[in-house]
Amino acid sequence: MARSLSKFAAWAIIALVVFLAVFPLYWTLISGFKDRVDIVTTTPVFIFKPTLDNFAYVFERDSVRGALVNSIIITGSSVLIGAVLGLPAAYAVARYPMRFANDIQFFVLSLRFLPPVAVAIPLIVIWLDLGLYDSRIAMIATYSLLTLSTTIWLAIPAFKRVPREIEEAAVMDGYDPYSVFFLIAIPVAAKSLIGAIVFSFVLVWNEFLIALMLTTSDAKTLPIVASELTQLGRDVPWGILNASVILLSLPPLLFLGVLSRFLSSALKTRS
Amino acid sequence: MKMRTSLPVVFTVPPLLILGVLAFVPMFFALEIALQDRELSNEDVHFVWFANFRDLFADDRFLHSVSVSLIWEAVTVTATMGVAILLAVLLFETVSPRLRNFLCALFIIPALLPRVSAAFVWKFAFHPLFGLATLPLNLIAGHPVDLLANPDTALATVAIVDTWQWGLLFSVIIVKLLETLPPQPLEAARLDHAKTWEVYFYIALPMLRAPLISLTFVKMVESLRAFDLIYVMTRGGPGITTETLDMYAFSQGFIESGRISYASSMAVLMMLTTTIAFTILWKWARRWQEV
Repeated sequence: MARSLSKFAAWAIIALVVFLAVFPLYWTLISGFKDRVDIVTTTPVFIFKPTLDNFAYVFERDSVRGALVNSIIITGSSVLIGAVLGLPAAYAVARYPMRFANDIQFFVLSLRFLPPVAVAIPLIVIWLDLGLYDSRIAMIATYSLLTLSTTIWLAIPAFKRVPREIEEAAVMDGYDPYSVFFLIAIPVAAKSLIGAIVFSFVLVWNEFLIALMLTTSDAKTLPIVASELTQLGRDVPWGILNASVILLSLPPLLFLGVLSRFLSSALKTRS
Repeated sequence: MKMRTSLPVVFTVPPLLILGVLAFVPMFFALEIALQDRELSNEDVHFVWFANFRDLFADDRFLHSVSVSLIWEAVTVTATMGVAILLAVLLFETVSPRLRNFLCALFIIPALLPRVSAAFVWKFAFHPLFGLATLPLNLIAGHPVDLLANPDTALATVAIVDTWQWGLLFSVIIVKLLETLPPQPLEAARLDHAKTWEVYFYIALPMLRAPLISLTFVKMVESLRAFDLIYVMTRGGPGITTETLDMYAFSQGFIESGRISYASSMAVLMMLTTTIAFTILWKWARRWQEV
């Protein structure tokens, strides 16, 4: 009796957490399709006549369009730089005996300790002096610090999991070290490497504080524009807000499957 | 692979050089700016050496923001680890592996959301008039409740959102870790009539000591990045009750006065304390893991 009761309690708690994990986003999504009258009400409305006005408004706004283009260019370029430079570095650290291997790993990790404000404040002055403040170039360079360090950090274990024997067999077959990297290590570790790169994408796509401080108009990214919408005055256009939040959140959510598998495989082999 | 090859140098030197420049140049500038009296609206710049730091320690609002940051750090780290461990054990005990994998994917959703989105979703849910989360509270209280405008509840409310994102993500990680444990010790304990909580508290969790310490460490680092949530949900308010260090540095540097040197001196202090504290903690955790 007591046993089935505690079983029931356990399932009830799990059901509640599932609800908490999924429902807020669902509610935001359907609120994006609601008219203002269906949102500004003290009793929640579940059945309503959906409207596309909010999404249409969001996509027609120049600020949102500009921010979307900026976000795509800035995150795309910095993720690419992080991958092109980070994967080889991670491979070298993972595979070649190096005197400073541990120090390199620690240095890369310690970049994550830096408070973003502490990086952003001097960067304002630096980019102003160089005449690059509020430009995409400056944002790409700054974000490359994030993508590069994250990609290196996550790709080192991925390369370590590639069976050594495969690489050694390739060397026997006459592959030079570079071909081993490009033709053997990368394809074998591809799944985990994609996970690492996607992770760095989510990190910079979602980044807020640095973008807030380093952009004022030309290079604003989507999180900044979305947050500006949420700070509007009294007569808040809730439907539009919900629509813009959905637009901002969609890209990272598209990678839910990739990241969930990446997490599983990264943790499975650690013990 | 004992060949002589240029690969290690070619592959590591350029990325590390770039990382070094991107990291150390701003650090050096942060220090230089902190020793000056630079303002955004003023061209004149002088070295004032440690005057900014002296002012900081006489600044009540700065000291207040330090204490808010420390409270935030303690509350969110404890809440995240507590929720994550309890939830992970619950999932591991009750749910079949297949369903568990599916639920784990769902539990990652909050962490994938941009902080700005998470903050907005919950700001909307806590809206005093038509928020879903405040609906039951309003019924109990009999009047509209505004948790984010109340100095006593604002910080805790923001902390709930942080735990919503991190606690669920970490529960997934801990479930995966529990799955890697060999089942024999746990079964042996059960045969000895150990209670369920005893099995976990005395056997399973101690076996996961090292990764759990690493996770706590990760959360401590990530909790320092509370800015986005607080900026969207409360802007440091009501008053300055939820003003953390980064929020105060931001408002000194940008919103209120453009005192970029003063803000930078705060940033330098944060940088020093976190780097020192986390380096020590990291090395210490490493040693623990090797034992």
